[in-house]
Amino acid sequence: MNTMRNDDLQLLNGNHAVAWGVRLVGPDVAPVYPITPQTPILEKLIAFQSEGVFDCDLITPESEHSAMAAAVAASATGARVFTATSSQGLMLMHELLHYASGARLPIVMFNVNRTPAAPWGFWPDQSDSLSQRDTGWVQLYSETPQESLDSVVQAFRIAEACELPVMVNHDAFYVSHSVEPVSVPPGEVVDDFLPKARRSLWLDTGIGRSIGSPAGQETWNRSRREMDEAMGRVEGLSREAGADWGAATGRAYDVIEQYRSDDAELVFVTMGSMAGTVREAVDRLRESGLAAGLIRVRLFRPLPLDALRAALADIPTALVLDRNFSPGMGGILHQELAAGLYGHRGPRLHGFLAGVGGLNVPVERLEALAHQYRDAAPTNKPIWLE
Amino acid sequence: MNKQLFSPLWTHLSSEGNKTGTWRAALPIYQDQPSPCLGACPVNGRIATWIGHVETGDLRAAWEVLCDNNPFPAIAGRICHHPCETACNRVQLDETVGICSLERHVGDTALAEGWGFAAPAREHDGAVAVIGGGPAGLSAAYQLRRAGLRVTLYEAQEALGGLMRYGIPSYRLAREVLEGEIDRITALGIELRLGVEVADAGALETLAGEYDAVFLATGASLPKRLPGLDYEADFVVDSAAFLAADSTTQAAMTGAHVLVIGGGSAAMDVARTARRLGRAVTVMALEAEGTLPAQQVELNEAREEGVGFITSAMLETARKDGETVTISAVRVTFGPGDRPGQFQVTPVENSGFSLDVSTIIPAIGQDVDLARWGDVVEAAGPVLAPRAGRIRTGGDVASMERFVTQAIGMGKEAAREIIAELAPDAPRPATMGGAVVDYARINTAYQVDAARNRQADAPLDARLAGFDEVQQPLSATEAQREASRCFSCGSCINCDNCYLYCPDMAINRLFPGYEVKTDYCKGCGLCVAECPTGAIHMQEDAP
Amino acid sequence: MDICQYTDQGQFRSGHAACGGCVEALTMRVILNEIGPDAVGVVAPSCTAIILGGHPTSSVRIPFIHGLIETAAAMGTGVKRGLNAQGKSDTTVVCFAGDGGTYDIGIQALSSAAERNEDILYVCFDNEGYMNTGGQKSSSTPHGASTGSTPLGKVTAKKNLIEILAAHRIPYIATASPSHLADLAAKVKKAKAIRGMKVLIVVIPCLPGWGVADNSAVAVSRLAVESGVFPLLEVEDGLKYSIESDKIRPIDTYLAAQKRYRHLEAGAVSALQGEVDANYARLKALEAINPA
Repeated sequence: MNTMRNDDLQLLNGNHAVAWGVRLVGPDVAPVYPITPQTPILEKLIAFQSEGVFDCDLITPESEHSAMAAAVAASATGARVFTATSSQGLMLMHELLHYASGARLPIVMFNVNRTPAAPWGFWPDQSDSLSQRDTGWVQLYSETPQESLDSVVQAFRIAEACELPVMVNHDAFYVSHSVEPVSVPPGEVVDDFLPKARRSLWLDTGIGRSIGSPAGQETWNRSRREMDEAMGRVEGLSREAGADWGAATGRAYDVIEQYRSDDAELVFVTMGSMAGTVREAVDRLRESGLAAGLIRVRLFRPLPLDALRAALADIPTALVLDRNFSPGMGGILHQELAAGLYGHRGPRLHGFLAGVGGLNVPVERLEALAHQYRDAAPTNKPIWLE
Repeated sequence: MNKQLFSPLWTHLSSEGNKTGTWRAALPIYQDQPSPCLGACPVNGRIATWIGHVETGDLRAAWEVLCDNNPFPAIAGRICHHPCETACNRVQLDETVGICSLERHVGDTALAEGWGFAAPAREHDGAVAVIGGGPAGLSAAYQLRRAGLRVTLYEAQEALGGLMRYGIPSYRLAREVLEGEIDRITALGIELRLGVEVADAGALETLAGEYDAVFLATGASLPKRLPGLDYEADFVVDSAAFLAADSTTQAAMTGAHVLVIGGGSAAMDVARTARRLGRAVTVMALEAEGTLPAQQVELNEAREEGVGFITSAMLETARKDGETVTISAVRVTFGPGDRPGQFQVTPVENSGFSLDVSTIIPAIGQDVDLARWGDVVEAAGPVLAPRAGRIRTGGDVASMERFVTQAIGMGKEAAREIIAELAPDAPRPATMGGAVVDYARINTAYQVDAARNRQADAPLDARLAGFDEVQQPLSATEAQREASRCFSCGSCINCDNCYLYCPDMAINRLFPGYEVKTDYCKGCGLCVAECPTGAIHMQEDAP
Repeated sequence: MDICQYTDQGQFRSGHAACGGCVEALTMRVILNEIGPDAVGVVAPSCTAIILGGHPTSSVRIPFIHGLIETAAAMGTGVKRGLNAQGKSDTTVVCFAGDGGTYDIGIQALSSAAERNEDILYVCFDNEGYMNTGGQKSSSTPHGASTGSTPLGKVTAKKNLIEILAAHRIPYIATASPSHLADLAAKVKKAKAIRGMKVLIVVIPCLPGWGVADNSAVAVSRLAVESGVFPLLEVEDGLKYSIESDKIRPIDTYLAAQKRYRHLEAGAVSALQGEVDANYARLKALEAINPA
């Protein structure tokens, strides 16, 4: 039940903003296992629960694998389900991520992007969620605490409309633990925005149908074609949700964000908190006479290729900044963009492994990069940014 | 083309569309089969069935099943030699079921409740003469009358019963019981000619002409004779005459020490009767200890009652001197001869001995008076042939078995044949043929684990004081408990094990009975393995 | 005669793919019919999952989710909480798993659910090995038993799941056997009425895995019970043990009734007898120290 009456501006870190978003949605069941740097989400939800303002069955199973298993099962009964994790926990869930999407369950999960071991690290890096990009989950990448709150709410709507699970990500510490003023919308706004969950089928003694039993090849093949069809609707649903959210709160969202890129001669393409640094670099570059811009990919799965192709068609140079690393290939956004632009009019594409493992990338470095690569021929090797 | 397709994730069909019956190589067949007790029973009694009724407390139903084959359950339950108990499968687990004592319980209950036989459903044309009112004749008369035929029963004595009345002492079979079970038969409407003897072959032939069928059951009336014994001597008493007499006459016939010759039931009856008259009694028999033909229980009771035994011995001479009769005898080895009724006796050297007694009662068996019927019914060895035209024979006159219940069975079989001829539509007693169910097919896991409930004997001093029955009946509770020990071999008892133990739900209950759902039965055989009674068997099947 | 007063409620349907004579299917029948229609199930990959049916058919009336092999108890938790949230807290949640999914790969989730005292009825069909994948050992395989991965006989003992679960102090643990179906049904009924974690472990002689004839699995399970290898028992609140079956025969007949022990020498058999005796004695000792 939402007890918020007025738009409330609070100083919140990214994780607490997520917790507020979840509180406003009010899911039925939330199995969560703690892991740095996600734990403040869980702790905040527990605090809400003990205050009596969060009527959700918060379960604490013994591992993320069991947390996602419980999430899958609860969702299969028709309940609205949320969970959160990071890095090792996300990867421990891996087989269940496949299960959740294959079973067409509209689970919403918040993942705090953190370096995967080995070696151990707790640093912002998107390799954890990007290495799950084939599991059939919708993926959104948030730049700010405000966006994290807003995206969590939208995620439930998108998930339930297409019956696919949705993962919203933000970077460890840069977003999860940094504080900014966050506008927390009134409860009625969220209630109006989020319709009552509608499901095609669920575990019900009255219906009596079972889910997930072994299927033959044709059936299995068809399940993936149906998933493909659902994924095909996600971009449209995300746009619609973002626009409706804008109408309700004044903060609209799209599947990509374009900052000063319309007339740019060079754009940076990136995801997550890196965009904040890029915005700064773009402004400085513009001041210095280089028409720079930013394209921030917010919806990563499905990759909004039409929007990206349109945005990049007339731009001469694009520098992709990947705070992730796929060994043997390079930056993942870079790869996907290169593949997606193949055969289409588009920029000279450069891929940079920027900030892998949480390395800080200063604004000056990006400025220098722009100057260095504005006329360079495209390289087909990933470049480690020093 | 848009096809309406079901979800690739969620089930929507029942497994029942998969007819797993195609898997099987064998199918369970429900077929009640005879129990070994039925196989051994001289009347082919459906023992498992009536005991089942005793277990559920339906004594009336038990009695009706019993009386289908034997109208004398109270009598048989006292004196039958119970081969059923030897054959009983339960012997291989702990101890036989006390079938005989249960039969007695059913019979006694019927008498106490005054149950009578139902009148025949309809009368049929056909008149049958039964000659001899002993167990064979009465059994035949009963079955024939039940079938609605007209029955005339000729009995030379003034009362019916034959050896049941005249040969078996009342401490084994109380008079009221005998009277009750006989009267119940005659109440069906049998025409009685008491005190009328069909004297000879000629009279027999005349009768055969007057009736549609005849059953001859006049018994074996000629006592076998011991060589070397003067049967005219006053100290030699005919055992049949002794047993048939009242106790006053019996006392007059005997002195202080009675020597009974013979090791069978008749010898025991004589010996124990004499003990009740206060006589010292010695039984002398050719047979060795352990092979005496009397029932073990009779031997035990006789010993308890103070009867002395000299076994493996043969009388040679007997001489009276004053009031004392001195006999000389010799030890022998004894064995069966080449043909039934014949035996081989070999005296042991230097084993002679003598004994002083008062009275000698030989009880070594009876022979059939073959000559009496010779012209009309041929002999078959020492007994009559089973059939001569319209005449059938049964009981001791036609068999060397010499058991009361065997006679009852022969009377029943003869009646079945006559009914089949004269009134084929009339109901006949049911029986069951085929191989008996052996112990391996019984699943003892479901059978009651309980020790035998035994009948008690009356205290010894009470026994010797008079002629009241020695063997005391089981109580109703004991009878019910004893009945529950019965395995019900070969009979479906509707326990539902087959229904329950089928992993494929391929057995339907029919209330009563079961059927196999052949669409689904995989032929695993669990139903057969878990059937407690062996009433199902697997049969090869290739659907 | 001790007959199970049983009438099918139609909760388990013919046409399923269990081997002919499979007593896992038999016990599923009794369990499902005792649980009744107001239930939702979870099944881990196992023979049970195959018996429940391949898409699009189901051999059971209640809805099941076919989970992953580690997840039976975790998914049971999720189903229960999901139903509770929708006001259906009286619906029984039942988990079906094999010994692999219970003793081995699923034990973590099971322990966790037990610690939380989840209101689920967890049934382990214990055929003492990974039978669905062709007969490899599990930690439930007994000492000395030959399996695909322990052809000369397993050198370690069967994991003591009963004491492990008892240490979690869950309300109810029970063992059951296809040879004692009335007992099984009574235990399911009793478990169903308890709020909290209930675990039922059923001994399942597997026809191909143990080398048992099609018609003999009930008899073999009876031998397991009667020889004390698999005693029938209940443990309440992890402390109060009731040992319900007597040890009335040596293990020889039981060992000879299957192929898993054919390779054993006489000395090994008497050593095994000693272990069975000691295990049974320990259970009786635990029973003797019952709190009132």
